This record gives sequence, structure tokens and C-alpha cells, in this order.
Amino acid sequence: MTPAIFPARTIADHLTTLFWRHPRLLLALMVAPPLLWLGVIYLGSLAALLLQSFYAIDEFSGMVKEELTLKTYGELFRTQNLDIILRTLIMSAAVTLACAVLAFPVAYYAARYAKGRWKAAFYLGVMLPLWSSYLVKVYAWKLILAKEGILTWAAESTGTSFLINGLLSIPGLEGSSLSTSPAGTFLVFVYIWLPYMILPLQASLERVPTSMLEASADLGATRAQTFRTVILPLAMPGVIAGSIFTFSLTMGDYIIPQIIGNSANFIGMAVYQFQGTAGNIPLAAAFAVVPILIMLVYLTLAKRAGAFDAL
Amino acid sequence: MGAEQKTDFPMTSAPMTPAPMTPAPMMPAPMTPAVEFHAVTRHFGTAAKPVRAVDGVDLTIAEGAFFAMLGPSGSGKTTCLRLISGFDAPTSGVVRIFGQDVSHTPPHLRNVNTVFQDYALFPHLNVRDNVAYGLMVKGVGKSQRYARADEMLSVVKLADYGSRKPGQLSGGQRQRVALARALVNEPRVLLLDEPLGALDLKLREAMQDELKSLQKRLGITFIFVTHDQNEALSMADSLAVFNEGKIAQIGTPEQIYTQPRTRFVADFVGSSNVLPPALTTQLGGPAQWSSLRPEALRLSADGPIEATVTALRYLGSGTRVALTTNGTELAAFLPAGQPLPEPGTTARFTFDPSALHLMAAT
Repeated sequence: MTPAIFPARTIADHLTTLFWRHPRLLLALMVAPPLLWLGVIYLGSLAALLLQSFYAIDEFSGMVKEELTLKTYGELFRTQNLDIILRTLIMSAAVTLACAVLAFPVAYYAARYAKGRWKAAFYLGVMLPLWSSYLVKVYAWKLILAKEGILTWAAESTGTSFLINGLLSIPGLEGSSLSTSPAGTFLVFVYIWLPYMILPLQASLERVPTSMLEASADLGATRAQTFRTVILPLAMPGVIAGSIFTFSLTMGDYIIPQIIGNSANFIGMAVYQFQGTAGNIPLAAAFAVVPILIMLVYLTLAKRAGAFDAL
Repeated sequence: MGAEQKTDFPMTSAPMTPAPMTPAPMMPAPMTPAVEFHAVTRHFGTAAKPVRAVDGVDLTIAEGAFFAMLGPSGSGKTTCLRLISGFDAPTSGVVRIFGQDVSHTPPHLRNVNTVFQDYALFPHLNVRDNVAYGLMVKGVGKSQRYARADEMLSVVKLADYGSRKPGQLSGGQRQRVALARALVNEPRVLLLDEPLGALDLKLREAMQDELKSLQKRLGITFIFVTHDQNEALSMADSLAVFNEGKIAQIGTPEQIYTQPRTRFVADFVGSSNVLPPALTTQLGGPAQWSSLRPEALRLSADGPIEATVTALRYLGSGTRVALTTNGTELAAFLPAGQPLPEPGTTARFTFDPSALHLMAAT
């Protein structure tokens, strides 16, 4: 029996035919829900946030006056607010830099040498910390870094307490222990955000073909020259992608600086306080705009420096 | 006629003893060879179960030669190239470049350069910076290295492409950039890994001629790896045929083509008919494997080969006739203008006895 050339059609067949003839229709149906989510809920709230930041609070009544003004942005330039912005910026930059330096060898090993089971071990090792609760990890670190914690104990029993004490005597990093010093805040930030640097970096290093490194050596480059002129430029998109994570996550975080460190205000904490207890939504909104602006400036500078040339 | 043939069978020289390992050099006086391999092996995998990628290779490549390493994939030819460039070190044996033992010298300290199969151009650098890269890492000043890069770009006919990115070039252009990037360092040996593999047929033929004339002009030793027998035969002035980590034969293209030393060489290089011992004896030879070129066969009513015609393939300059005789498949090439047998019929063929070439079985 020969099969029919055009089998009988069902409704499903009509539907697939429709999608076959209009592939964009299927695409539109698939992307519409996420686009709506992104466009309406996400961009919409961002616009509302921006709008709020152009309002100001009435100093007598404490009520938000719905008039467009730059007065709230002016408040950002008060010394104590500028301090918050500067402190957050320095911390984010330091965390990003440390993450990049720590992540590179790990990502390089995973991309170039790890095969099979070792690769699986790498992914597991990097992802595993992400499976447990962020709060649990931060409190665990508080215990590790506390004066009675394991780190101080280990330093005392190995006679290396001078290292911790030396660190804690550096101006700006003072504290009774690492858990009450900005150095501790920095350490925990680096720990928490490191996977977000390793993964994109590893992905970008994986795309660098071995032959390119061989070509560089073949043309007379030492390993250091190959790293500087080939590997680093080609991995730059990954470094930037990772730094977007570490930079913006540090800038927006309000829990780590609250639990670990000397309780100095960060942008995230300021937003939390102004929109909550202080009831100053416009100032909170203005603070929230700062990281967005900083990221835009950062990405523009990175683009100018040629970080995306290898894309 | 058959009886006569048996008595005075003029065999072609059949080198049963290993052929001399020096490929007939075109150099007048003996000089330090560009590259020498002495009992070189390269094993991968564990010591208990080694994979012998290169298994006891002796090789001498004369300076100024255009040398081809030909073989199927996995035959060890690419590993040999990597032993010369320094990306791999021999497990045992010695690799010399111009007399100097470089077995464990890193690539950046060797005066050889490579044109990679995928070209390996740096995507973040423009063409000029790519070509100038070797000079840059050696500390040559900007104006000087750009001048030399531009000069080399005009040699490969890409003078106006210096400021483009590799991504904006066609395959053939990228290949030229890779060539310029290697040659600007004035290497004494240039290695080419499947240099034409990624190009389409027309471009490939043009590049073959161009590479050949470039090599003549520069006088540099070119060593290239290929799995394409036509490419090896048409470009090289001597070649080594690799099989399972060993060299099956070294010689000029003509020697390799007309006098394959082993069955493997005859099978791999071109389209020769490989005759088992029984058929060789039937045709008046000793009980050995032999090869017979398709173009040596011609139709003849009283020829010694009686075969069934299975298929005809028209090739323009002639017709390739597929035959079977006693279970052995043969091919004959009949030039255009000659009468052709009908498929399915039986035909008799004869050949010039000097065309029958005896070989080793392996």
C-alpha cells in the first residue's frame, strides 16, 4: 500500500501549516509574554523610579510634592551622601578587581585544561555556593571573621595574628576584628560575587581557539606577551560581563554591609532607609539612579578602551 | 604475445630495500639540511597504552625544498609538523633545524613560522597589526614594523587591506594574511598546515601556483601537510607519504606516483590499480603485489586481461572505465576519441609491460 502523498489534515496540521508559512507569527507568540514582562513591569517601574527621583519631599509636611524638580538630586551632593556614593564606588571597584584577578586562573584552567570529570567538578565547585542561601553564607562569614571566630583562632595558633592586626590598623579599615572592618565587608563581597565573574570569563576564554595561542608563540611571543596581547583582549568581553555583575551587585547590595563591617552606609542601605523609615521616596529613587549612571559611564569607558573589539 | 611477455618482463625498478631517506634534493652541493628527524617518536596517552602518533620517523628535508607530508588523518603528518614548530616535543629521538637540536626548544625561540589551518588570525587586531605581530613582540618600532608589514602585504597582493579586520576578509584573503604574517619574520623554514583545505576549488588551484612561485622567489624551505594527493604531487618537489605514524615512502612526486613502494602508497596516492599476487602472476610477473596505472591500460582484442565492464565515467579528457576481472576491480582510462566498450560486456585489455610496478605487501 502506498502512503497518501497529502495525508488527511487535522486541526494541528492546519496550525503547523500556518506557522510554517508565517514563521514570524510563531516567534511573535513566543517572545510576546517575556517582552510584555520586560517592557511593562520592568521598564515601567524603572520609569516610575526615574519620575520619583525628580520629585522632592516637603520639608514641613514630609509629604512628596509631585512637581518636577532637581532639588532631590542636589541633596545627593551633600557631604554625607557623597561619602556614601564614594564609599560604595570604591568598594565595588575593589571587589570587581579582586574578583577578576581571582577568577582568571580558575576560569583559564577550566576553559583550557579541564576535561570531562574535572570540568564537571569545576562547574559544581563554582555553582555549589550559589545553591545555599545568601543570608546563611553571610552569617557564616560573620562567625568566621569574628573576634572569637575560626580565622582569629587559626591566626593565633599559627602565630600570624600580626597579619590580621596589621590589616586592621590600616587607616580606613579599622575594626576590632575583620567582621567589624571594611576589609571584612570586602572579603565577603568577593566571596559572594566571585562565581558571577568566573562563569562569563570561562565562557569567553573557551571561545579562544588554541591555535591562536600557538600562533602567538609561533610568532615569537613569550607567555607573558601572549597573555597581554592575545588572551586578555580576547577575554575582555567576558571580564566586562563579569564585572557588570560584580560591580552592580556590590553597588546595590544592602545586606552584607549591614551584617559585616563598621555599619558605614552604602547606596543600597541608603535606599533601604530612605524609602522605609525615613519615608523619603524621592531621595531613595535618586540614590537608586546613581548605580545606573555609574554603570552607563563604566560601559562607555570600557567601549572606548576597546573592550568589545573582540566581540 | 602472452608467452613472449613472460620471458622478458622488463620490470620497473622495485625498491624492495627501503628507499634512500634523502629525497632527491635539487641542491647542487651538500649542505646542512633544513630539518632532520632522527628516530623520532611521539606517543600520546599513558605509558602502558601509548598511542603512537609518530613511530620512529627518520627524515631529512633539504634547504630550499618544497616538501609535502602526505597522509590520511591520524597518520602522524600533523604531529610531525608540530614537532618542527615546537608545539609538541618528541617522546624520543632528535629533531634538528639547520643542524641544531631543537627537540625541547619552545616555539617562540625557533626561527620557523607556521601558517595555520584555520589561519588563527587575531580577530581583535586589524590586518596590519596581525602581520606586524611577530615584529611587535620582538620589539621592532612601530613605524618600522608597519613599513615591513605593508611591504609584505603587497607581496601577497593585499596592499590596501591593512586597516581591515580579519572578519571582513574572504577565506582566500585571510590565507594570504596568514602567509604574510608568517613571512614577515623572515623564517628559514615555513610550515603550512593544510594551507588550502578551507578554500574552494578555483581559489585552491590559484593559490597552489602562487605558493609555488612565492617559494621559488623567496628561497625559503616550505614544508606543508596535506591529505590531498593531487595537492602534494603538484606542489611539492619532494614528499613523504605517512601511514600509521611511519613514513611509507619518500621521493619526488614522479617516483611516488609511478613507483609506489607499498600497497598503501599505491592505494592512497591517486587512482592506481592495485593487483594482488595472483593477478600479477597471471599477467606474467612474480607472485607479488603490483600496481598498474589506469592510463596504461588500452583496449586490445588479444590483450592478456579479460574483464567485465561495469561502468563508464565521462571525464572530459577521456573516459574512466570500471572493470572486474576474477573478483579484482580495475580502472582503465581511455583518452577521448577512442572507441568505448559497452557496460555489461566483456572486453580485453593490454598494457605496456614496463607500466606494471611491483610493490611490498604492506
